[in-house]
Amino acid sequence: MFGQLFLKECRETARSLIYWILVGIMLFFFATQLGETEIAREPEKGQESYGMHQSEDPDVIMRNTLGTLADEYYRESYTTYPIGFAKTVKPDKKEQKRIGEILEEATGLDQGEIKKTMEEYYGSVTGLVAEMPMEPVDGLTYKRFKELMKEVDELLGGGSHYGEQYLAANGIEPMTYEDAIKEYHLLVEKDGLSGGYARLFSDYMVIILGILPVFLATTREMRDRRAKMQELIYTRRAKSGTIVVSRYLSMIVMTLLPLFLLSFLPLAECIKVAASDGIRIDHLAYAKYILGWLLPTVMIVTAVGMFLTDLTDTAAAVLVQGVWWFVSVFTGVQGIDGGAYGWNLIPRHNTELNYKGFHDGFVQLVSNRVLYVSFAIIIVALTVGIYSQKRRGRLNVRGKILADRKSKS
Amino acid sequence: MSAEIRIKGLNQYYGKKQALKNVNLTIETGMFGLLGRNGAGKTTLMKVLATLLPKSEGSVTICGKNVEDAAKIRKIVGYLPQEFSMYGNMTVYEAMDYLGVLSGLSKSQRKQRIPKLLCKVNLQEDQKKKVKTLSGGMKRRLGIAQAILHNPKVLIVDEPTAGLDPEERVRFRNLLCEIAEERIVILSTHIVGDIEATCEEIAVLDEGCVIYQGTVAELIKMAEGKVYSAEISKKELDLLKKRYVVTSMLTLGNNVMVRFIADRKPFDSAKLCEAGVEDAYMYLMHGKRGED
Repeated sequence: MFGQLFLKECRETARSLIYWILVGIMLFFFATQLGETEIAREPEKGQESYGMHQSEDPDVIMRNTLGTLADEYYRESYTTYPIGFAKTVKPDKKEQKRIGEILEEATGLDQGEIKKTMEEYYGSVTGLVAEMPMEPVDGLTYKRFKELMKEVDELLGGGSHYGEQYLAANGIEPMTYEDAIKEYHLLVEKDGLSGGYARLFSDYMVIILGILPVFLATTREMRDRRAKMQELIYTRRAKSGTIVVSRYLSMIVMTLLPLFLLSFLPLAECIKVAASDGIRIDHLAYAKYILGWLLPTVMIVTAVGMFLTDLTDTAAAVLVQGVWWFVSVFTGVQGIDGGAYGWNLIPRHNTELNYKGFHDGFVQLVSNRVLYVSFAIIIVALTVGIYSQKRRGRLNVRGKILADRKSKS
Repeated sequence: MSAEIRIKGLNQYYGKKQALKNVNLTIETGMFGLLGRNGAGKTTLMKVLATLLPKSEGSVTICGKNVEDAAKIRKIVGYLPQEFSMYGNMTVYEAMDYLGVLSGLSKSQRKQRIPKLLCKVNLQEDQKKKVKTLSGGMKRRLGIAQAILHNPKVLIVDEPTAGLDPEERVRFRNLLCEIAEERIVILSTHIVGDIEATCEEIAVLDEGCVIYQGTVAELIKMAEGKVYSAEISKKELDLLKKRYVVTSMLTLGNNVMVRFIADRKPFDSAKLCEAGVEDAYMYLMHGKRGED
């Protein structure tokens, strides 16, 4: 029964308008974000640019961080991300004075020199304002630097660029030829070329997969009520587990299907470049990343959608997932270049490079993904329980909500 | 295993409101009519039998199986709910096939049974039509076909003829009678004509209580000698309505031919009539109100 029901649910998903809207959004996102991706060739000396990379060098981190701090101090306006959302903080005079003292200690420049440097910088910049590095004072240890930045972060209420967990993200710097060659070899040798691009593909697609599946799950579960099919299905012989799990798996498979198909395009590009450059490619890289990186997000988002819709018979899941997605996207920005995956629903790695960051954060990433798969399985099990209760006329949350509204009106 | 439904001391509550009060019924193979006003508790009783509501108190067994054992009951019960519908974008055949899978039928069983059933409900020509394009009558016939798809021992049909035109209603009643030859069919309705045309055994529910259980003939017998007709002027109609339960009336110019219930001959021009099910039902409902 399960297999036949699963196939029927897949067919039903394929016939729903919402599914094709989702596929359309995936295609659009892919085309706009990844459509023009060029597969890297071996860097040549004398190139105008070798791109940017994340440096772990304390000097780079200190220079960039102090530049950002000087800029924000000069403007007397600081951006923090306390719960993932950007927030503008304007410290009072006492706090601003203390930040100035910290900046003086860290750079060795007095207030007048800092102001003059910033005025010159803004006067010289045309077009977009780029990051401005500022040299730390001679003899400033990284330990003392971190202590000072921690104090600034506390003065700003946390979640600033100066918090300990965010300092590493400030280490972005242009790559030299040597850096670029090193990164390229890691990409070719460790990632089999396609691995790095599969990671980039996952980085973009996971953003929309943090929200899209909830629409599919919510509309599927609400469809029974709208079509007045609930009682017809409830009185059937099929077990609640069979009904819920077949629907769940069909939505997962149907969501992954366009991802697999889309992945053939960049994979074909990788194969082409690999063939001409004599590189041994990992043909299964995209499949591995879709299953390892994207599947857990699809699983949890779909599970949340089904659970809340079955529990409330409303579209509340869209709202809940919307908030979770928003917070995840904004907090994910902090570790956008990879390596700092944390427990984010939407782990980011917005480069085909930085294999080292991926390697170093791999255990964390696996833990993250296993956690969400586990949660998804638990939530699906709870959904089966709720569905079973509803079949017996229990847990009529929607009826209670409507009755409450009626009695209040 | 006995092909009967036994309901003993069934009480059903929605919060503090009692929807069924000490219901006792025994239902055997054939058509069984459940009659009552809207809100009498018919749908609640149907839902308890179809495992859609957990019973509050009492015992209910269907073919020897306790109604609380939902998995076993679902195998032997077919249900056509009051508000019947299916996924509109499916064809008739696809909808049947989907519900067939949910009923645990194998592919070969579905291939064999679905065309037969669609033929039985006269939808064989419409199997490729989308459900949303079907008329009300066709949908109800599809509803019956889906309810007997897994060949249940018991078929529960809740208010099936509401909104159907007279021709569809007759066709639907005949279909139910055919189906009831080999199983228990419970027909819940507030339309007396449906019961009269199809059921021998009936029960009447009022405010959650069974106020009558027996044959249609016995119900009619209760009203014998109490149904009168008379031609009266329109001016007298209001007074007559206040004193008696009027079961039908026909305007004839300035006069009205009325049919009403009275314990004894009310006036000289009134003529004693043969009682029908509708008269008997009205007598029963009126009598009960009188006792209250």
